[in-house]
Amino acid sequence: MTSDTKKGPDRPDESRRTFLRAGLVGATATAVGAGAVATPAQATENDADKKKARYQESAHVKKYYQTNRY
Amino acid sequence: MARMKFLCDADRCIECNACVTACKNEHEVPWGINRRRVVTINDGKPGERSVSMACMHCTDAPCASVCPVSCFYTTADAVVLHSKDLCIGCGYCFYACPFGAPQYPKTGNFGSRGKMDKCTYCAGGPEADNTSAELEKYGRNRLAEGKLPLCAEMCSTKALLAGDGDIIASIYKERVAKRGYGSGAWGWKVAYKETIAI
Repeated sequence: MTSDTKKGPDRPDESRRTFLRAGLVGATATAVGAGAVATPAQATENDADKKKARYQESAHVKKYYQTNRY
Repeated sequence: MARMKFLCDADRCIECNACVTACKNEHEVPWGINRRRVVTINDGKPGERSVSMACMHCTDAPCASVCPVSCFYTTADAVVLHSKDLCIGCGYCFYACPFGAPQYPKTGNFGSRGKMDKCTYCAGGPEADNTSAELEKYGRNRLAEGKLPLCAEMCSTKALLAGDGDIIASIYKERVAKRGYGSGAWGWKVAYKETIAI
């Protein structure tokens, strides 16, 4: 019964909603495109990388410690 | 894991301000912002002392505690850094910091300050290491290059120490033990001279 009611003459014409679908597809494509463009430019490190230790006891640093012992 | 620290030997600092100049030049710090400064007490009087001050990269950093947007983070080697992309320039960290480390590029109407800037321990920021984006926002990343902060490396009297906290503490201890007096005098023999047996 319910489906019959939907198929009745009062049922709105779906074709007029196609522009909404088109708009949705367009917006999604834009978002995907923007993401693809943003990825190479994204220079920010992830949480683990930005917190990793960068100090290295290199020859340069050892020399610094040595000169400070005078 | 090494913990990065600054230690200024006040008996050696001669207030030459080379650390301040080096910092400004290395990181292209704009006018009006001083990531490091030399504070002198009793200037021109007997007992004058100078101390080079910047962000002390606190273990439990008060700036991070008060930040409403949580832009601060501490690295595995105990360097306190922040993200200028997240900073809203509210100035809370400036009021919380006991060392006056946070700096702001603007003094505008309605309290507009711009993004906060502070000493990064020459360790850059959240951008990828040694990229132009990192250089522009935070300055050079010397730590990632296997070096230490330039202010300490070029200190002419070796007053400003930087590096692994344990190592620079041992260097300072050696100095104080040799001097046997001074602002950071070490041990009972300094306080009680030769009258006490350890």
